[in-house]
Amino acid sequence: MSDIKVDGWKSSEVLATLSQVFESFSDEEKKAQIQKTKGIFELRIKNAEGKEGVWTIDLKKTGTVYKGEAKPKPDVALILSDETFTSLAEGKLDGQKAFMTGKLKTKGNMMMATKLDGVLKTAKTKAKL
Amino acid sequence: MSLQGLISGSECALPANPLSQVLKHAEGDRSLQQDRIAGPSSSRLHHLPGTTAHTANDRDLALAQQFFERGGHNPAGASLSLPPHLPPVEMGRLMEMSRVQSGGLNHAWPEARASEVNPFHGVEEIKTPGAWAAEFSTPSHPIMTGSSQQSMVGAAFQQQTPYGASGMYSPPMMNMYGMNPVGIQSAYAGLDPRYNASLEQTQNKGKGKEVDFDTAFAQAAASLNVVQAGETQSAAPQEDLTSLEARLKDVRLEESTVRDADDGVLASDFKHYWDQLQSSDIPPPVEDLAKWEAEFNQLMTAQREDTDFYNYGDAMQSAWDNGLGDYGDATPVDALKFDEEGLPIFSDYAFEPNNKYLGASTSTRSLLGDAKELLERNGSLSEVALLLEAAIQKGELGEGGYETWILLGETRNMDEREEMGMRALAEGVKRATESGAAPAGMLSLAISYTNENYDRAAHTMLLRWLQARFPSLPIAEETLESVKHSSWDSHNRITDIFLQVARSQHSQGTVDPDVQIGLGVMFYTQGDFDRAKDCFESALALRPKDYLLWNRLGSCLSNGNKPEEALGIYREALALRPTYTRAIYNVGVACLNIGAHKEAAEHFLSALALQDSTGGEKSEQLWFTLRRTFFAMDRTDLAEKTKTRPAVETFRSEGFDF
Repeated sequence: MSDIKVDGWKSSEVLATLSQVFESFSDEEKKAQIQKTKGIFELRIKNAEGKEGVWTIDLKKTGTVYKGEAKPKPDVALILSDETFTSLAEGKLDGQKAFMTGKLKTKGNMMMATKLDGVLKTAKTKAKL
Repeated sequence: MSLQGLISGSECALPANPLSQVLKHAEGDRSLQQDRIAGPSSSRLHHLPGTTAHTANDRDLALAQQFFERGGHNPAGASLSLPPHLPPVEMGRLMEMSRVQSGGLNHAWPEARASEVNPFHGVEEIKTPGAWAAEFSTPSHPIMTGSSQQSMVGAAFQQQTPYGASGMYSPPMMNMYGMNPVGIQSAYAGLDPRYNASLEQTQNKGKGKEVDFDTAFAQAAASLNVVQAGETQSAAPQEDLTSLEARLKDVRLEESTVRDADDGVLASDFKHYWDQLQSSDIPPPVEDLAKWEAEFNQLMTAQREDTDFYNYGDAMQSAWDNGLGDYGDATPVDALKFDEEGLPIFSDYAFEPNNKYLGASTSTRSLLGDAKELLERNGSLSEVALLLEAAIQKGELGEGGYETWILLGETRNMDEREEMGMRALAEGVKRATESGAAPAGMLSLAISYTNENYDRAAHTMLLRWLQARFPSLPIAEETLESVKHSSWDSHNRITDIFLQVARSQHSQGTVDPDVQIGLGVMFYTQGDFDRAKDCFESALALRPKDYLLWNRLGSCLSNGNKPEEALGIYREALALRPTYTRAIYNVGVACLNIGAHKEAAEHFLSALALQDSTGGEKSEQLWFTLRRTFFAMDRTDLAEKTKTRPAVETFRSEGFDF
């Protein structure tokens, strides 16, 4: 878990939080979350210095977040900047706008990318209507 | 067509394109030169041609040819006839210039000398040969045509090669431009484009060797004579021109020395620039240009491939072929299935076992009636839900066979049992639709979907609600189709319909709270909490006693990063309905987001205690959030404890007061 956080990537903090959330899931909750999402997201995040870091959110088999490329193959790879990712996570930007403005690029199953918003939302406890 | 368009393809790709840096230089510097050569750039912007670069290219060549041919044997005619495509502004300026020439020239000469202070401004900044080419082709181009119509750099870029190949000019000697007596050129700029044309011609013929340069100047002088002959007809100033001509002739460049022209300053500047250029490492040769062009093309295509990253149509198609939510691989958990329009397909509603109301009823009244009364009396929501379940199991389905289901769903949702509420509502809506009472329960169901992040399902449900509620409302086929694609597609379309309905109602002086709620949910799903808040506020203005609405308003604030404000709103909801479990949960969430972890935990515990009163199952969501709170408090021991679902009271011993 601790290795998720990498200096120079604000996104890594978000991902570490997300990982913590996943770890706090009970088996049933994890199952429910996996059932809802059913996908492996590979995040290729470019930071301010132009370096690329790769993280994976697995919500298909294990329900974990880890550093490095997806094993097995991801359903979708998302290519975006550090800033874009943090805005997505904070809800300042939605996936659609990011995609339409070219801030978010996808490789693979694009339908899956639409689920990222929902996954990121679980990182933050949300009030209900 | 702009240079930006040429290089990047689209504006939005710009930041990713390293070549955009080149643009900044090219554009910035160009304006400076254009201002001097062909008038203020702003006025030039007004008549950017709409023609494509290619046709302009042909035409320019033709015009140039025409001009040079005529200029050779019929100078007078050339100077009088104006290019037919000359824009009015230029035309006017030309006319004026020929009238006030004498004054203009006297004027222009010192001005030009003053302006030669920084003639290298552009050159020094530019590193890339390509940018360099752009830089120089730009000013030369409008001059060539004798009008300022072609000022696009993009066009100039493309014309580079044809110019070289046409045989009319020797290969463009870019670096000659820098050596060019800037003062002289700018002085002429104010006079007549033709002067510039002839000057430029000489420049282009130059080869960077003093021999050519000499010839060039001789030619320049000659053409000056020629034009001068034309000018005399309109009583042009003789003396100034002749002296200028003399100066021109004097400005000759030797290999290492500059002849002592009558203007010392000019001459030394001249030498300075020439030396600078000689020693400069800017590589201007044409072959480099070709290389650069290839490189540029390569970059362009690379860029394009990058943006065309995936094929949308194919992705959609394969998504459909595979069936949504089913992406191959055998996995331990079965994926939740969705129907074509994104509605989740649930298993049947699971009734609570051991429902005490299921036994022999002692009450003479109906269970549904009891439930309604208890709800009215502000009783325990879990209790109400049990009554309703029993009613359904005993066949008491209420009005139209759907009433009890919908009421059960809404009660479950209020009690923070989203999963159960959603199933009950889905069942109720299905039954209502079958019996022709369509809009019933749909809004509640859409909200339930929204809470569980089933955005597409929420959109579908809201769209169905609109259709049922306003049967005469025209809804485009595309919109109906859009919910089958993705929530990204459907969101804007459905929001637009809601806005359209809301506006037409507004113009009739009415506000429909349900439409406002629907619109609010649409904004909410997209994270536009400010606008969602406005919608719920206007709905509240009409239904001030609706605690559900107060809670929804609070959640908009809470999720919109204003948890402090949300607390006040939740208080309103709880004042109207003290046993409103969801509002208590939301208060806990707001506390959690503020950082008041202990208070948050206490709120979750009191919500759980409320549900505990019936002895039935409690909300998973509540347990889960409570556990997260314990993690946030660094109480992993307590977090572990929640997994076993202990009696809520046991937490009192840990110092939680609820």
